[in-house]
Amino acid sequence: MNYVPGTASLIDDIDKKHLVLLRDGRTLIGYLRSIDQFANLVFHQTVERIHVGKKFGDIPRGIFIVRGENVVLLGEIDVDKPCDTVLQQVSIEEILEEQRQQQQTKQETEKVKMQVLKDRGLSIPKADNMDEY
Amino acid sequence: MFRFQSLDDDCTLEEEDDGLIEEEDEIDQFNDDTFGAGAIDDDWQEEHKRLAELDERVGLGGGEVEGEVDSGGSKPGSSIHRPSSSVNPPLQSSLPPFGFSSSSPGLPPQDADDRAREGGLAESLARLILEADPAIAGVGAAERPRPSPSSSASSLSVLHSLDQPRVLPQSSSIPHQRQPQLPPGPITSGLPSSSMLSYQQQQQLLRRGTAPMGQMNSHNIWDNSMSFGPVSVSPGLVTHMEDSPLMSIIKEGGLPKRPPQGRSDEGRDLSERVPPPRSSSPVIGSPPVRAVPIGTPPKQPMSHSLNHQVAGFPRGGPAPLLPGGGFRPFFGGPPPPHGHRMCPPPPHGPPSHIPVRHNTTHLHPQHRRMLTQRMQSRGGDRGRTGGDRSSRDPYSNLMTQKEKEWVTKIQMMQLQSTDPYLDDYYYQNYYEKMEKRQDKERDISSNSKKEHATKLITPQVAKVEHTYRPVQFAGSLGKLTVSSVNNPRKMIDAVLTTRSDDEEKREKQVWNKRRQILYTVEKMYSLLLEVQDFEKRFVQTPEEEREALLEQHKTNTEQLSSSLMEKEWDHRVSDELCVMIMSVRKGKRLVARLLPFLPSSQAAAVVMAIARNLPALAKKDKQDQVLGWLVEPLSPVIQSLSSSALTDLLQELQGGEGQLAVVLQNKFGVTMLYLILSEGERMQSCDPNCQLMDDNRWTELVFSVTRELLSVPASSLSPPLFTPPNLLSLFSRYVDRQRLELLQDKLQISASSR
Repeated sequence: MNYVPGTASLIDDIDKKHLVLLRDGRTLIGYLRSIDQFANLVFHQTVERIHVGKKFGDIPRGIFIVRGENVVLLGEIDVDKPCDTVLQQVSIEEILEEQRQQQQTKQETEKVKMQVLKDRGLSIPKADNMDEY
Repeated sequence: MFRFQSLDDDCTLEEEDDGLIEEEDEIDQFNDDTFGAGAIDDDWQEEHKRLAELDERVGLGGGEVEGEVDSGGSKPGSSIHRPSSSVNPPLQSSLPPFGFSSSSPGLPPQDADDRAREGGLAESLARLILEADPAIAGVGAAERPRPSPSSSASSLSVLHSLDQPRVLPQSSSIPHQRQPQLPPGPITSGLPSSSMLSYQQQQQLLRRGTAPMGQMNSHNIWDNSMSFGPVSVSPGLVTHMEDSPLMSIIKEGGLPKRPPQGRSDEGRDLSERVPPPRSSSPVIGSPPVRAVPIGTPPKQPMSHSLNHQVAGFPRGGPAPLLPGGGFRPFFGGPPPPHGHRMCPPPPHGPPSHIPVRHNTTHLHPQHRRMLTQRMQSRGGDRGRTGGDRSSRDPYSNLMTQKEKEWVTKIQMMQLQSTDPYLDDYYYQNYYEKMEKRQDKERDISSNSKKEHATKLITPQVAKVEHTYRPVQFAGSLGKLTVSSVNNPRKMIDAVLTTRSDDEEKREKQVWNKRRQILYTVEKMYSLLLEVQDFEKRFVQTPEEEREALLEQHKTNTEQLSSSLMEKEWDHRVSDELCVMIMSVRKGKRLVARLLPFLPSSQAAAVVMAIARNLPALAKKDKQDQVLGWLVEPLSPVIQSLSSSALTDLLQELQGGEGQLAVVLQNKFGVTMLYLILSEGERMQSCDPNCQLMDDNRWTELVFSVTRELLSVPASSLSPPLFTPPNLLSLFSRYVDRQRLELLQDKLQISASSR
């Protein structure tokens, strides 16, 4: 709303703490330092936050440059607002472990599901989310 | 994004260098990458070092995301000033429009001091008018003299420059320092004269483009980081302020100390630093680089009185710089409407509550008002909290003002519209309706106040024709070998040349002829296809249209048949044409398909022509060997021939001298011969009334055939496609036993042959 009234711009978001969700599902939190016309973002003191259930863990990542096309959403974090009390912060190792377990259970259920479907002669093709082929 | 410092770090105190620097800049404004101080990029390295050190010191452990306290007062890096050398250039910034006399390079400090007072105002005005890039900090020593992109933006730099005169006497240590700093002048030397201070304040208030500036004037960095200057503040007003923003800021933030002390200073506000400007060298052929990108909001005029004066200049100034010329209506206007409209309320309010200035010419006035209100309210809320945080964030403003403007420029470019109603229909309509509604309400409430209803000025970008003229230097050889998206360069100079070779001509003729033949064949084919499809279509068309279709069919067939005929003789197939068509494979195919559709007389004529020209055809067919296609359609035709016609046909086949020999050599020819003979035999044996024997022709012909058959060596006799069964009986009629046996052997015909 700064230079270009009536439009949206990231200019005002510079130097503020943001949370960005990427296309690959990662959540990054950091200070937005620089942008460009493609909404490529430069994050400073970035932290990757992994959420598993009610727990979350932060992995410090340093400086991130995110290509604009990979951004799903981006929002400013109000540092003054009290943090969410529902979520519980745990250590990195723990959260990674939790994540791994989550992935595992998911894979197992998926496998079982596929097997069941196959037995019934149905097949649901897996959605191809990969960009590379 | 690169940031190049355009000032030579090493060139500190030298006044005599100023002229040099100036000259340097004049040489090639755009090329400070290679020539100018842009080539030297020490500063970013130092910056990096500083920031890195800061990181180490503070530690990044534990994902500490919160901005670090500037324990780093590490380096007083935020102010970027080259103290000494910046004295004179700003003061002597020669700004032609103003006709200010430029001071001589080696100006002694005290002169500079005076100059600062008188020249400074004008100079700042000039800079304002030229809409200088706020991010180019006082490095400006080299930059200042440059008319267009230069002029230090940050108030700090201005401040510094003005402080220089006072600082210089004490600046013994300054030349040593590498880091730009806000000289401690104002503090250590006690409060400067009030006029000086107020002047400085003016300057700050003028230059509100950057966060540092914002800080100066308010506690709320966030609020004002992007804000554009306050509304005009009359100089007199400021002098009254003892509790000036400047002083408060200085008290709060603490002025940067000299390097020995500065680094450990906790109170230092590193975000006062303004990073050095980026290089401004353009790509040749692309639009000229504007240090002040299109879309830059204008700086605010200092006062009402100056408004008009100022107003005149933006048009003069930026206009020549506008690449497309289209933005003139956009930005020509900003200061005056702004000044008039907005001047009254804000500046007299609390200094910390500066309303945001937008480039809102093109906005509907109502919209603008709404925006301002919104900004004000938002500013009020966040004013308190933002300030502390910002003062502790050492990494702020990594993105320079210039860069922000650059991004905004790109976004603004998308707003260009030659037809606002087409591009932004809903926006226009919405505000129109609102206006109407307001007018209605106003009319209801009061009868006057029409003057409040301002006309909506929609941004119109004139469609300017750009004719690209390639960049050329006088005296150079030809054009530059540079191409960009706007001027794709012709890579090859291709020139058409016609070959006048005789052989070429002949070859060409041959090709032309062939093309002609093919063309004829194609035409006939299309007719033929129509004819062939007739029946199918006939069945499908409804009753009413059948007649028309029939008519058409008739025409088609007529056309088809006549196409083969000679021009003068109606009943004779044009040999030339026939041969021509049959010389190509497709033509032969065509004739084969065509024959069944021709009326019998014409079909006979065609067959005659074929027989007549068989040698030629055989020769042409040597490569393709497709005459065999003709056999199938040929047989019914032959079989339908009358005896005289048959005789004629046989005669044709025998034609001139040696033709039969050639015929016999060709498979098709032999087949055809056999067909004829067979037909003759059939006629004789089946039909008692056959007139074949009426004249001797047939007999004679058969005799000659048999003679030929016997005389021709077996090797040159090509086997036919098929052998009719009754040949033997035919021959037995005409030849004696001995010869018959010979023939039998030769032709491999036997009584029981198929």
